[in-house]
Amino acid sequence: MKLDFVLNNKRVSINVKGGLRLIDLLREQLDLVGTKEGCGKGECGACTVLLDGKPVCSCLILASQVRNREVTTIEGLSIEGEMHPAQEAFTETGAVQCGFCSPGLLLSTVALLNENPEPSREQIRRALSGNLCRCTGYEKIFEAVELASRRINGLSVQNDKV
Amino acid sequence: MTMIRVTAYENPKSIEEATTFLAKDTYVPIAGGTDVILELRNGMPVKLLDINNLKLNHVTSNKDNIEIGAACTHTQLASNPIVSQFVPLVGIAAGKVGSKQIRNRGTIGGNIVNASPCADTIPALLIYDAELVLLSKKGRRIARLDEFITSPYATIKRNDELLHSIICKKNNKTGYSYLKLGRRQAVNISRMTISVALDIDDDNAVIDACISAGSVFPVPSRMKDLEKFLRGEKIKPKLFKEAGKLAVDLMIKHSGYRWSTPYKEPVLAGLIERALMQASKGIVQDN
Repeated sequence: MKLDFVLNNKRVSINVKGGLRLIDLLREQLDLVGTKEGCGKGECGACTVLLDGKPVCSCLILASQVRNREVTTIEGLSIEGEMHPAQEAFTETGAVQCGFCSPGLLLSTVALLNENPEPSREQIRRALSGNLCRCTGYEKIFEAVELASRRINGLSVQNDKV
Repeated sequence: MTMIRVTAYENPKSIEEATTFLAKDTYVPIAGGTDVILELRNGMPVKLLDINNLKLNHVTSNKDNIEIGAACTHTQLASNPIVSQFVPLVGIAAGKVGSKQIRNRGTIGGNIVNASPCADTIPALLIYDAELVLLSKKGRRIARLDEFITSPYATIKRNDELLHSIICKKNNKTGYSYLKLGRRQAVNISRMTISVALDIDDDNAVIDACISAGSVFPVPSRMKDLEKFLRGEKIKPKLFKEAGKLAVDLMIKHSGYRWSTPYKEPVLAGLIERALMQASKGIVQDN
């Protein structure tokens, strides 16, 4: 069936099979392999993408279900080659180690910062609790979100530990 | 790449159209898909009926009841002001489902028809004597939630029926508590959930108690014997301890002595005691 939706701010029109999951459409048909599949069961959050700005697991949605809606993947975060402040912060604090969870974590982070530009540590922990990371112990990830938050809000970052 | 074998995918725009499909053939209704897609990963062929365009995401209030559309997401219910005012335990329970990603997609209707013994929202809904509105070409039928689930993952819903909405009775109690126990805070399949609504008079005696549990009985259930035991009693710490012991007796009576019982005995007793203590303080609390 024909599927029309907006992907990373561009209109996409593509033929898909009824049982195709969104993650498979992204990775196999559209070659957007930034979105990772971890558990495939909605528990690890590695496959997180934004659907109309809200984080969802792309392994638990059929491609057919995003008709006329807006999907953002990790490939859609940078603008004209410039990394999103959250991406920059992640690389600076060491929040990216093996990197498998990073795309999902970044999309959860961006959704959080769009909704709440100055989240508390507790709010950050809650917002990212659906994304598992087995390398970092999360501390550097939380630091990255706080750094991104300060930069987005134009606060001084001179004294940041980076 | 996991291919789900979808042999038909229908996207009806009206209830009439949806129930016509359901009357014609065996379709699996899909909303968020957080349970349905998991089940289909085994490759079983399926016809899907997407119910996302039926406008079933309403929350309305009248004098006695709150009506919740079956396709309301957990995210929506966790922050809905009508829900938090009149059926607070439902909002708390919805906010504890899975993760943000799951709550953004998963729906309360899905949580009910999936009928898992550890469903988070069902025990909370039972406190409000929830009833389910089921629609089909044959008409409208109301089923009590406490009679809807017959055994783990099985309900009385016919294949030609669609869960339209959930009706909760308003019950203004003096205090509420919802406790969810699991191995961790997030992305957590409940080990046990306890919902309590208490009504306490000025003399500190229990006028009414509503108590339900998930993952304690084969299906989420109210503990009517425990409620009866508490009614009319003066509140003191010993009372809640005794209530915990009685809850354990009820669990063993209805679920048998299972492999998990040595773990669940002290846990259930402790959670019941804590939930009653919290609810007796006259506010809405959760862990």
